[in-house]
Amino acid sequence: MQKQSWMKLKDLTPAASNSINATVILVEKGNTIEGGKEKTETCVALVADETACVNFQMWGDECEAFQPGDIIRISKGIFSRHKNKLLLRAGKRGSLEKVGEFTMLFVESPNMSEMRYMPNANQPSKLVPESQLTKP
Amino acid sequence: MTVPTNPLLHYNPYEAKHQLDLSLTKAYLLLHSQLKPPFPLTIPSSSEYALLTQALAFSLLTQPDLTKINLKHLHASVTDGYDIFTTTLLNLTDNCYPKLLPVPRTQLLFLCSQLIDVAAFKVDSLVISLLRRINGGDFTEPNLWLCAELAKILSDNWDWLVDEPLVLTSALFVFLRLLADHYRLVSGPQLDELKRLEISFCIRVLRNCFHLCLGIGRDLIRLLQDLFVIPEFKELWKDLICDPCKFGVLGFSDLCDIYRIKTPRHYFLLRISQEMEAQLRFLLTHVKWGNQQRYQVWFAKKYLSLPGSETVIVDVIRFICQCYHPSKEIIQSGVISRWAVIGWLLKSCKRNYFEANAKLALFYDWLFFNDTIDSIMDIEPAMLLIVSSVPQYMEITHCLLEFLFLVVDNYDVQRKNVIAKGVLGAFNALVKRGVVHSLEVLMNCDKLSPFLREKLSKFLFDKALVSQEKEIIQMQSGDHQDQIAGMPEQAHQWL
Repeated sequence: MQKQSWMKLKDLTPAASNSINATVILVEKGNTIEGGKEKTETCVALVADETACVNFQMWGDECEAFQPGDIIRISKGIFSRHKNKLLLRAGKRGSLEKVGEFTMLFVESPNMSEMRYMPNANQPSKLVPESQLTKP
Repeated sequence: MTVPTNPLLHYNPYEAKHQLDLSLTKAYLLLHSQLKPPFPLTIPSSSEYALLTQALAFSLLTQPDLTKINLKHLHASVTDGYDIFTTTLLNLTDNCYPKLLPVPRTQLLFLCSQLIDVAAFKVDSLVISLLRRINGGDFTEPNLWLCAELAKILSDNWDWLVDEPLVLTSALFVFLRLLADHYRLVSGPQLDELKRLEISFCIRVLRNCFHLCLGIGRDLIRLLQDLFVIPEFKELWKDLICDPCKFGVLGFSDLCDIYRIKTPRHYFLLRISQEMEAQLRFLLTHVKWGNQQRYQVWFAKKYLSLPGSETVIVDVIRFICQCYHPSKEIIQSGVISRWAVIGWLLKSCKRNYFEANAKLALFYDWLFFNDTIDSIMDIEPAMLLIVSSVPQYMEITHCLLEFLFLVVDNYDVQRKNVIAKGVLGAFNALVKRGVVHSLEVLMNCDKLSPFLREKLSKFLFDKALVSQEKEIIQMQSGDHQDQIAGMPEQAHQWL
């Protein structure tokens, strides 16, 4: 059983597990893209905390539920590559909750979705941002 | 077996449940079976009492059919003057009012009047919190309904109200302010009834309790000015100017007696909702210079996007000038300055009427500035906005200085000397306290129009002569009031 621990966006690394628990503020919202016949609609937004920001994908009715300025608690989210884009999302097993508005500080760089991640020499299975690579 | 409950708050999809909602619901679920008679005759322990009160609050708010029996239970079991019960409703009002569903909302107002009946502990705070919940610049039905309900409750409980000077004058402040906006709206039966209630309440308070109204101080005049078009207020103004003795208050013989009284800060909170206050305080305490743009967009979207909503900018500016005085630490920490936020707000006014009122709100504390009772922090934002706009935004500097001189000359022509003295005092204090090093930055500014430079010069130096002269005359003879009143007329010939 994974213990729920809250993290800052600067510590995001891509992984296949849904273990991201973070509180973020929605900074900017992109357009909702219609899913077409069988796909649900999606929308990509920029969310942030005081350490970093990241591109955030919303699915289905999440798209209309959140507006810029909303403070969102992400539980068991997932930060992974989707169609060659690195995105944070709730995923099938995660959840989103609006817990407030406005009263949160944030930064608009670095954007974790634009980081290059490389395997860490000592622990190849774990990815770290290129800037944090430990020298062999 | 789950106990069915009626909802208290409205939640949008994905919205987290509010803590207060959760604890009230929990108390109800725990004790719902004890809310039916027979009621125990034993006095509950303090924790049992707290839980019972919360359960009763939940039931009273969400189950109107059980009102009679719940009220009986509440009155029978009360041991703390309704403190916990009223505090619960107060917390709900301060933290959750916008999310209350229609039934709980109606019940909340009903319970408020019930609590007034029993002179419950803290019911004055509850009324004031509810008054704050009437949103400025919001002409939707639920908001107008709240306004009418409170006007009715207070009118119906006049005897209680006159013994609560703070509630009385707070309500007056609120309804005077709202009336200015409501009077300009297109007529309709609901609105006409509301205006009638507001006018009759305000006039009743002003005519019968003027001695208490004086406690509001100088912003009372600012509010009354916007109501001059209303016949009942025109009559009131006639009496204020020509027959002040009619009000029968010792110490009030002229408008100057009101100008002299600084409006206590409490009143400026009344026209800002609890959430708006929290957002403004956050912006001015934590957001650094350069990062304010997003927050301003969100604030404008939430509060300034509906037609007519820009009227609230006046109240926001009074709040910023009077109620938010940042500490030296905050000022030095790189947080966005008040003057910059006010500059943004002024730019957000789309119509001249609102912009003029907003500028008046910004300069109001200058007009009657008295170093011994007024704070430099009340007048600092206006000065910094004027000076910081040089040289990049000269139109702002010009606009504000022009407005200031216009107001000095025209705000109250009969008492021009009082206002000129106030503004001169403001300039002097700003230099003395180091808000600006000197006024040379304006007087020697070649980007500033020669007309304004000359006007400023003349104002600063001629006025000093005028007040010196006045002091000499006053010292020589206390009886020559006419002489003193007449003199400023002559002194202003140069304008």
